[in-house]
Amino acid sequence: MRMDMETDKNRQPFNRRQFLKAALQGAAAVSVGGLVAAAASRSAGAGQIWQINPFKCIQCGNCRVNCVLKESAVKAVHDFTMCGYCDLCTGFFHPEPNDLNTGAENQLCPSGALVRKYTQEDPYFEYTIDETICTGCGKCVKGCTSFGNGSLYLQVRHDRCKHCNECLIAARCPAGAFIRVPADKPYVVKHLGEGAIVGEEAR
Amino acid sequence: MKFAGRLRFFATMVLAAAAIAVAAGAALGVERFPPPDFDTHKLPAMVQPLPPGDVRDYVHVGLLAAGLIIATWLVLVRRSRRGVAILSVASLAYFGFYIGGCICPIGSIQNVAAGLADSSYVLPWTVIAVFALPVVFALLVGRVFCSSVCPLGAIQDLVLLRQVRVPTWLQYPLGLLPYVYLGAGILFATLGGQFIICEYDPFVSFFRQGGRPGIIYFGAGLLLLGMFVGRPYCRFLCPYGALLGLCSRVARWRVSVTPDECVNCRLCESACPYGSIRPSTEEGEPA
Repeated sequence: MRMDMETDKNRQPFNRRQFLKAALQGAAAVSVGGLVAAAASRSAGAGQIWQINPFKCIQCGNCRVNCVLKESAVKAVHDFTMCGYCDLCTGFFHPEPNDLNTGAENQLCPSGALVRKYTQEDPYFEYTIDETICTGCGKCVKGCTSFGNGSLYLQVRHDRCKHCNECLIAARCPAGAFIRVPADKPYVVKHLGEGAIVGEEAR
Repeated sequence: MKFAGRLRFFATMVLAAAAIAVAAGAALGVERFPPPDFDTHKLPAMVQPLPPGDVRDYVHVGLLAAGLIIATWLVLVRRSRRGVAILSVASLAYFGFYIGGCICPIGSIQNVAAGLADSSYVLPWTVIAVFALPVVFALLVGRVFCSSVCPLGAIQDLVLLRQVRVPTWLQYPLGLLPYVYLGAGILFATLGGQFIICEYDPFVSFFRQGGRPGIIYFGAGLLLLGMFVGRPYCRFLCPYGALLGLCSRVARWRVSVTPDECVNCRLCESACPYGSIRPSTEEGEPA
């Protein structure tokens, strides 16, 4: 600024308009620099991305419909270490089944994404989720959490998620279960317990 | 009778004890059905797909900086409308349809505000860079970001068919809306952590080919309006445009009409699709 003032003085008088403009430029540069410096001093490592806190989730079914993607980025996951490997799985079977077999009418999952397989060890059955079919409706999660171990739960799948700055599911989550978690710890693993959640409550 | 009563009391006590035991078990995290100890069967691992890595962010910031430099060159040095149009299409393709909208400088206002207000909100450096780069360019050379790097501006420029001049009495009050929106956006981000500027972004649904119906109708309405009124979102809503507009007031090398050489033909006034060149005052001085 001072350099300009001196060269301007040699050529023509430095008028009020130029002085104001130079002062405003200086002030703007200083304020933007300050703002960026303040922001940078708060900046630390990886950013935050969206995730579901399964301890708060009430399986309302909003995740299936409110995602900006046609096929929601929220899917059911299975925490195998928590699963009881029940024959009579309340996440798999409809509460009032016609018959206890894998017929579609007896299953809770509307798309047949929960796959039941015998473990070869009596009387245990293993349940896995076919993510290409799962819609993230949370029906199996509700069954498992209400009457079982709660080993099935909903999580945002980060290979599908668009990482919106404002998640539309989060904006409409009635339980406040959507949280921002550090990008280097992007899943809330339920068997580690509620204390292991590293993340800031969104609201 | 007495015996029956005593039996009922006993049964109640047993049930209560069982209920307490179940509740305590749940509180301690003990599963209702104990996980089996398998002899040979192996537990599968829970699959946790990772988010896309940092490389994408570096490329994003790099391309934003490159876009701003090219835009500056096209606007101030080459003065090429065609160049600006080509760069707009490229920006729309990459920042719009390829990236899918986030993170954009418009939304980053809220991240920066939230980061400054709430120390637990982590602000990555890429978001700071995305926020600051267009501001720095606006301070030096004006709103070159808006001209051809912003995908939201580009999509509106593409649909502009035939411009209708917005009368001054309407343009002035509508032009104040962005400042209100900017204030509201910062308030919501700092007080509630809610990012309304992103939530009500009219065009991001088109970039992602999916979204809420209300927002898609809003975006479609703006594009219809944009066929006759140049860039309605930018002029009458965009909060980042308002911020950059304030910065560009003091820009050193912005495009301006030289008063001494202006012959008051007013061709530029009618040529500008955005009504941003105001008529000069009676004495021939620029307003």
